[in-house]
Amino acid sequence: MSDAMEASAAIPSVTWPQRLANFRIIPRIETYPAAKKFAKTAIGKLLILALFALGLRFAVQDWLPLSIGLAAITFVPVRRRVLLTVLTLLFTFAVPWAKWPHPFYTAALVVFVIGTGAMLFWLAIAWPRSFIGRHPVFILLSGYSALLVFAAYFPNDTHWYLTVWEYTATLGAYLWFIGYSLLDCRAPGRDDFALQLGTYRPFWGSPTTPFVKGSGYLRRIEAKDADQLAVTQLKGLKLLAWSLLISLFTKYFSQYVHGSLAIPTFVDAFSHSANRAPYPWYTCWASLITGFLDDMLAISIVGHRIVACCRMAGFNALRNTYRPLSSRTIAEFWNRYYFYFKELMVDFFFFPVFLNYFKTRKKLRIAVATFAAAGFGNAFYHYIFYLNFISQLGLWRSLAAYHVYIFYCTVLATAICISQMRKRGPAPSGYFRGHLVPTFCVALFYCLLHIFDYTERTYPISEHFRFLAHLFNLTI
Amino acid sequence: MDHREEIRHFLKELLLQKGDKQPFSDDVSLLLGGRLASVDAVEIVVFLEEKFGVNFAEIGFDQALIDSVDSIDSLIQTAKK
Repeated sequence: MSDAMEASAAIPSVTWPQRLANFRIIPRIETYPAAKKFAKTAIGKLLILALFALGLRFAVQDWLPLSIGLAAITFVPVRRRVLLTVLTLLFTFAVPWAKWPHPFYTAALVVFVIGTGAMLFWLAIAWPRSFIGRHPVFILLSGYSALLVFAAYFPNDTHWYLTVWEYTATLGAYLWFIGYSLLDCRAPGRDDFALQLGTYRPFWGSPTTPFVKGSGYLRRIEAKDADQLAVTQLKGLKLLAWSLLISLFTKYFSQYVHGSLAIPTFVDAFSHSANRAPYPWYTCWASLITGFLDDMLAISIVGHRIVACCRMAGFNALRNTYRPLSSRTIAEFWNRYYFYFKELMVDFFFFPVFLNYFKTRKKLRIAVATFAAAGFGNAFYHYIFYLNFISQLGLWRSLAAYHVYIFYCTVLATAICISQMRKRGPAPSGYFRGHLVPTFCVALFYCLLHIFDYTERTYPISEHFRFLAHLFNLTI
Repeated sequence: MDHREEIRHFLKELLLQKGDKQPFSDDVSLLLGGRLASVDAVEIVVFLEEKFGVNFAEIGFDQALIDSVDSIDSLIQTAKK
């Protein structure tokens, strides 16, 4: 055998799908020693911050104060957590102050909500063996539910009516953030409330789902030295670039799909179906698939941008969305699609049930805990999220009209349950059977389930089944 | 097999099931680092309850407690006391 042939025999052959999987549009600059070394210098930091600010300019309105905040936190890493609190308070009160119609009133509501969180935190620590000390999150969630009932039955002809609803909405916006700080109460080496406050809707932006979890998580993912900070910030810069690329792609994708190809949006196709004037079944498939992709892209753009800012602040957080279409199981997709929502459900509903009930029956234990998280927790989260329906329709009518999403949660929980409990043999070899078939089946399942992933209260479930049947050219 | 070896072996098997063949040291963060997911945390919890009698309902649960070979080992030592 010639030398060349021997050498080629020694190199493991890499298949095309593997090469494709390893290909990266944005190179892994955080692994380049020269880039890491440069990122540790003052000029390197300034350049990274400047590039990041430039990227943010295309993504968010408040890019300037956000960039200044990130610069401050970058150059004073030893005070990172204190600065996080200071910046979060500035972004909570000072930055939006001019945009609020009644700034003092809104600020007072937020202060009152933060005070509620502080009081619960203090009570849980002061009396660790009391009921509130052992179950602070239960107290928080049941207390909020009681507040909702109170607000729903509060007479709407009094001048306190709006205040009650506004307090409920403000507490709802902070609910899960307060919850995470309460989960941290029993943790060894917990942070005091001043540092917990930095995680209450942190300055890098967060939807109602806490990005990125709470104080306990931040303690563990914080960059411990200059090396880690350099790597974390380079990863942050990369992720923002990725977010902008996806954003650009989404813009042209939407223009092409809904403009040039004239594929209706999912909402449009659905309302046509409900009005008994459906588009052809193949157009409905196209609408459903593009709607599913649109949602996935939108979640990726926002999630990547927030996590990128968090990384720039020196916290090496995991991505919110990570290659969901490569998932080979239903449970894996749920983990990859919206990581921080899944974590919220796991931390607040799955583990509390899993660790306390049916300990001797493993399958039942997993099933009940999964239903508590993907079923009940998911439905509860979205029900209390849309307060406008509760205030307009009342408690019971809004709950009855919510049946479509409850159905969605039930199917999702059942599927995740089965996915988790299935005994898996060795994965079939080959790209087609080992990768393509399972990923296609998982994507198809979620795509079809997307028909019921509807938190509005406009149509009864029969309309959703009608749309599903129409996809297969059936009429019901 | 001592405790550490058993833990290491179990985590290695979990990673292999996910197709992760990369080596890991005892202090590597597996859950918070993203190599294992919460589904795997469930497996680790059951393993620790059955094999070492750890009662999480008593000591309180945090994913950081089962994040690496080191943290699991110190959890077992604490639970024994």
